[in-house]
Amino acid sequence: MKSIISFIVLTLILFVSTSSLQAQTPPKFQMPILISSAGQSADVTMAAMLCKKQNLNAKVVAIAKPSDLDGFKTLLLVPGFSSKGLGAAGTSREDEMARTKKLLAAAKEKNIMVLTMHLGGKPRRGQQSDDFNKIAAEAASYLIVVKQGDEDQFFSKLAADNKIPIEVVAKIADVMKPLAAAFK
Amino acid sequence: MLILTAIVGAIAGREFLRMHLPDTLYPGSTLTSARLLSDYHAKLAHTNGNTAVYIFDSHRPGGTLLVLGGTHPNEPAAFITAVVLLEHAVVSTGRMIVIPQASLSGFSCTDPLEGYPQSFTLQTPSGKRSFRFGSRGMNPVDQWPDPLVYLQYPSGQKLSGVETRNLNRSYPGRPDGSLTEQVGYAIMQLLVKEHVDIAFDLHEAAPEIPIINAIIVHEKAKDIGAEAVLNLQLENLEYALELSPSNFHGLSHREWGDRTNVIPVLMETSNPIQGRLRGRTSEELLVNGVDEWYRQAAQLGTVRITYNLDGQPMSQRVARHITGLLAVLSVYNDRFPEKKILLENLPGYEDILTQGVGSFLH
Repeated sequence: MKSIISFIVLTLILFVSTSSLQAQTPPKFQMPILISSAGQSADVTMAAMLCKKQNLNAKVVAIAKPSDLDGFKTLLLVPGFSSKGLGAAGTSREDEMARTKKLLAAAKEKNIMVLTMHLGGKPRRGQQSDDFNKIAAEAASYLIVVKQGDEDQFFSKLAADNKIPIEVVAKIADVMKPLAAAFK
Repeated sequence: MLILTAIVGAIAGREFLRMHLPDTLYPGSTLTSARLLSDYHAKLAHTNGNTAVYIFDSHRPGGTLLVLGGTHPNEPAAFITAVVLLEHAVVSTGRMIVIPQASLSGFSCTDPLEGYPQSFTLQTPSGKRSFRFGSRGMNPVDQWPDPLVYLQYPSGQKLSGVETRNLNRSYPGRPDGSLTEQVGYAIMQLLVKEHVDIAFDLHEAAPEIPIINAIIVHEKAKDIGAEAVLNLQLENLEYALELSPSNFHGLSHREWGDRTNVIPVLMETSNPIQGRLRGRTSEELLVNGVDEWYRQAAQLGTVRITYNLDGQPMSQRVARHITGLLAVLSVYNDRFPEKKILLENLPGYEDILTQGVGSFLH
């Protein structure tokens, strides 16, 4: 009996939290957009292409420093670890983590809204990527996530815990719609 | 006992020597010129690195495409994709150059301790055709011994000694280097002398390798790659974009891009026979790509692997390469209309899956 009551209570909590999450409407973002990476995966290039296809005013600085935020109104952060990307950028995982934290702190200080897009699906999940995914998601005002990267509800749970609106889409091409809507 | 030893030796020797018999390929009717790599670096003549170079010229102004299969002869979908292009494609604008067996020497042996088959068979309209399955590197008979540490030229990058026979660590190569370096050098010469505009180096990898299903591009092609990946997604085909690391030397997608005007692209598919989790290593696994252990691993989900529960058949892997190549080429054509390259008569993704890749071979 006790376990049945616990199950019902948990289900209700989950229902209420999910309902409140769904009720959250994403904020409106402004241009220009600075696109940067957290983990140096090539997904940052995909994000740039998505912005280009939606005619959004965006600039890519994959290894952006706090000073690169000057003049921008939105930081579009694309998390995902790539050893190839880190090699290409000539940086280490530790330095990339430190840079990302500094960038997010600067964005907060400068009142620049953060939109986090996780595009890489499963390949950008797991031990190496999730530290980047977590800090990028927790700092966001809005999350857009490709479903394959959220099969274990990693991002959905973070969004619920931090009351961040989230849009989970089936594939990268489907990101275009919520992305464009966020800047209308 | 001596007679028995002689018989076993003769049979084994015959099998061993069979790997040196060349594969018979049938270039399409629009072939304009068949050359050898020694045309670009004379010292390769009479060596086991002197592979065939097939040139298709539409005689209509446009760009030049190069497609390399067989950089790693143990990645058969890359080789067979190049053969489909060689035997089936019609070039209507620009030029196409195909090197189906870039690492020719590697087709004459298999990697030790892997239990690999020496060949595989595909059903084609002309009957069953056999193709050699080779090793990742050049044959040690052609280049021996391996150093303990391979110092990549000219970067000085240190790699495992066995990589000294890996063509895709050899670029830009050198004219008086090892056989592998000379093949790499000859391909670099070809890129320049033939004014190649865009070049594909086709590969496969074990299902657990993170770059599976990736399109890896040099930074000068990142927008082309990104747009191609998006377009492929709109067709419900999943590819991932990866950028070539600037500090990892000897690779085609790095050195071709840094040292020539070429836009280099490397593509990977998932090939279970290369994987560490595989079970019985056989020709069936090579062609059909069905492996019980990978199926279980994929279902468990504890290891991130790219393996369809129905397997990773050769037809699907070739279909991915051809579709990916055409998608990248389409974006390239949009961006460089004056250097357009148009390929016709190539099968679509579903056509290859339903009819089998053999249907599009001679």
